[in-house]
Amino acid sequence: MNGEIEEIRGTFKPELIPAETGGNIDDYEEALHVLMKFVGSMSSALEQVSGRGANAIVYQAGKRMGHEAGKLMEKTDDLEKAMGELSEILGQEFYFEMWKPSDQDSYTVEKGNETEVKLLFMDCVVRQTLRRTGLPQKGPLCYLLYGYMVGAVEEVMDIRGKLDIDHVGPNACLKTLTINWSGK
Amino acid sequence: MVKIVIDEDACVGCGSCVEDCPNDVYEMDEAKNKTKVVKVEDCMACLSCHEICPAQAMEHQDIHVAKRLYIDRSVKDAINKII
Repeated sequence: MNGEIEEIRGTFKPELIPAETGGNIDDYEEALHVLMKFVGSMSSALEQVSGRGANAIVYQAGKRMGHEAGKLMEKTDDLEKAMGELSEILGQEFYFEMWKPSDQDSYTVEKGNETEVKLLFMDCVVRQTLRRTGLPQKGPLCYLLYGYMVGAVEEVMDIRGKLDIDHVGPNACLKTLTINWSGK
Repeated sequence: MVKIVIDEDACVGCGSCVEDCPNDVYEMDEAKNKTKVVKVEDCMACLSCHEICPAQAMEHQDIHVAKRLYIDRSVKDAINKII
């Protein structure tokens, strides 16, 4: 791109459904960068104004999104199947796998009425956004994914869940998903 | 399987990686005053150790490298001109 803005002129009718998107790949890239900066700044400002309450607000927003996304998926009681479905919901932008330390036999750990499973998030748009905008990880934006995951798992398995962030790194983040079988 | 290579010539023995690793993959070799890998099977390739190492003394091989979705090409081009 040589810095000139190319104007697209045409006829607009509200009843026409666009058959294809306009612009080229550079436009999308530019739009993505701007959006990312907005989201990063919003998250940072939210934290500044609301303090730790920011995490709760964003968590609720994520949870609602997760519940909506989970409604499209098949209900199951099988944790591994649910993880597979969650993987589909989250798509390639949030690629994760179940993880366990080498001295642990199974991915799941039973603790009374609860089951814990560790999830390793390898690809994450949130992490990329935070690092791109120079913001610390484990902030409100991370809680969006946290809520999204919990909302989706609650919807798919019809249980109550929570996700704790164990560790954040530049290439992967480890989270613990706890499922409470006593239901909602 | 992850493989971690420590450049012993570069390692300054600060122990930052030992402290930062959540899975205790590293330990200090007191005799050499260098870090050593003791539990590579527990490495989840988060690369926190890379970030904290002041000497860039380690290399992780055969890991899932997170997709880099946001590369600022104009910044990259500017840096490339300087380098």
